[in-house]
Amino acid sequence: MGIIKKVPVFLDKVPGGGIITTSLDTIFNYSQASSLWYLLFGTACCAIELMATGASRYDFDRLGMIFRASPRQSDLIIAAGTITKKMGPRLRLLYDQMAEPRYVIAMGGCTCGGGPFYYDSYAVEKGIDHIVPVDVYIPGCPPRPESLLEGCLNLQKKVKTQKIKDWS
Amino acid sequence: MAELKTEEFVVNMGPHHPSTHGVCRFVLTMDGEVIVKVEPVIGYLHRALEKICENRTYAQCIPVLDRFEYCTSMSCNQVFALATEKLAGIEVPERAEYIRVIMLELNRIASHLIWLGTTSLDLGALTPFLYAFREREDIMDLFEMTCGQRLTYNYIRVGGVAKDIPKEFIPKAKQFLSTFDSKVDDYEKVLTENPIFMTRNQNIGVMSPELAIAYGVSGPNLRASGVKFDLRRDDPYSIYDRFKFNIPTGQNGDCYDRYRVRMQEMRESAKIVRQAIEQLPEGEISAKFNPIVFKAPAGELYSRIENSRGEMGVYLQSRDKEKKPLRVKLRGSSYNHLQAMPHLLKGHKIADVVAVMASLDIIMPDVDR
Amino acid sequence: MNREELAKYLLDKFPDTLELLETGKAEPFFLMKKPDEIVEFCRAIRDDVELRMDFLCQMCGVDTGENFEVVYSVASVKKRYRFDFKFPLPYEGAEIESVQTVWPGANWFERETWELYGINVKNHGNLTRFLLPDDWDQGFPMRKDWDAPDFKRMPEV
Repeated sequence: MGIIKKVPVFLDKVPGGGIITTSLDTIFNYSQASSLWYLLFGTACCAIELMATGASRYDFDRLGMIFRASPRQSDLIIAAGTITKKMGPRLRLLYDQMAEPRYVIAMGGCTCGGGPFYYDSYAVEKGIDHIVPVDVYIPGCPPRPESLLEGCLNLQKKVKTQKIKDWS
Repeated sequence: MAELKTEEFVVNMGPHHPSTHGVCRFVLTMDGEVIVKVEPVIGYLHRALEKICENRTYAQCIPVLDRFEYCTSMSCNQVFALATEKLAGIEVPERAEYIRVIMLELNRIASHLIWLGTTSLDLGALTPFLYAFREREDIMDLFEMTCGQRLTYNYIRVGGVAKDIPKEFIPKAKQFLSTFDSKVDDYEKVLTENPIFMTRNQNIGVMSPELAIAYGVSGPNLRASGVKFDLRRDDPYSIYDRFKFNIPTGQNGDCYDRYRVRMQEMRESAKIVRQAIEQLPEGEISAKFNPIVFKAPAGELYSRIENSRGEMGVYLQSRDKEKKPLRVKLRGSSYNHLQAMPHLLKGHKIADVVAVMASLDIIMPDVDR
Repeated sequence: MNREELAKYLLDKFPDTLELLETGKAEPFFLMKKPDEIVEFCRAIRDDVELRMDFLCQMCGVDTGENFEVVYSVASVKKRYRFDFKFPLPYEGAEIESVQTVWPGANWFERETWELYGINVKNHGNLTRFLLPDDWDQGFPMRKDWDAPDFKRMPEV
């Protein structure tokens, strides 16, 4: 990937080089967004809806997303389910093991901000955004599979705004 | 050849592992490939549901307890509603009881389908997962048509149920049930006589009836060890004494027997739903219960029902004329099963940990609450 | 035996140990007056030929505001009986004897009661951190007077 880092810097100086960088942007972003592999990470109720979204009626595979068991092989964590204080450091460990570019979707009310366990619970992390940086929030308890698919499409839109200039 | 000197070593499995059915961590002491000791480490999903329930009124506790065992959320609602009704002496109308039984048994089928899908996924078979979730979507449609939710229903309330079933429910349920038995036969065709499935499950994780009773194991796991005990028959609650159904049991208490028992239970649940739909009377769907000003009398009791995983119970203690309970203790069946699990794994290999955990149908919110 | 006969049988068999409470709305609920003899009592009800209470349904601690209480719910698989019993404990120095020699399934119940309430269990063998994080240092959370900086109570409407 060394050439990719040097190409945009070189092309910016050449007149008309911007066209090539934007075309490269489009190609890379399109291929990345169409093939986001997610880590099988589900702690609580939202994990069942995640599995149902991956099953036959609402298929994840048509968006190019399949599950991987190891964080080293995935580029997306869909954090589905309540994260407790005991589980927080493990989530951070999994996130750290993923290779860049990596994304996080916070699925469900519990990961967005504590959800139904905001009050009166002594062991729940109220939202995961102080553990890992979150890209897309999907509210719901649990969110319907259609919501999850919409959240993934929003993430794809976000991925398509990346520029290869930002990688160097 | 010189003697090979070996040592035991410790392997950590989890808490994030594709087959731990939630977040459970096992610390395995191994001698080569053979397991010497298993120690489960839990608490990764401890959400303090009991503390939350102490600061909620009785009607507000029901949606909180939905999240206690989300695969069978109707049972969680039912056990708490039953406990509160016994405490306060509320009588539930007939139509509500029949609707409750229909919902509970459909939920039992849905939970067994999740079990079937995830078990076969853990053992390496991808097809039954897709088939099982396809059936489950039909049941989710029925629930969504009634109460608007797919997973955590908040439908069975204290005194009855929240809403009446719509008129499309009965035809759609009959259509689902007419094809369901043949679908269960399809699943059996894929798995039951499969040599790989049989080798991975027969004589693995054998649980004797004495061990099961000593550790408080209940439900299909107890029945697979040969003990014919089902709370719907032996300690009847609601109106289960009006239905005819069999109680399947196994002989050996290994993983294969637990699989056979659950497959048969799905058929029996379908039988109960058919009978309940036929006998469904007209009438009220809820007793007079005001969720905002309800104050329970003083008392305490422990009430239990037969969940799809085993015995689920609630110990409820209340002070006189108070809106909120003093103590709600939740008893989940997977708590005891996970406690008994290390005794089933002595001498097995590491791949059998996955098979045993899947066959015991353990899910972590039941354990950690 | 139905519930009244079960209650009468138990009161006849253990006249000094048990007292029937009227607040048991379903199955017989007893107050156990001799907490020091809990292990012998449990063994007696498990081995009794008429009762055969071999299934411990649950065991938990309760904080009533004035004292602790420990509740046991037992059942019989063969005979289909069920009853519960409890005994009170003071806040200071609350201690119980472990019953895992009678019902091995009580191990985790007692461990959890210790961890969340602070009721000490003698002869347990493994009273370590269980449900709470390993570095938890904020006390016993299920007590009524427990509080912490990030613990928010739901406001009254």
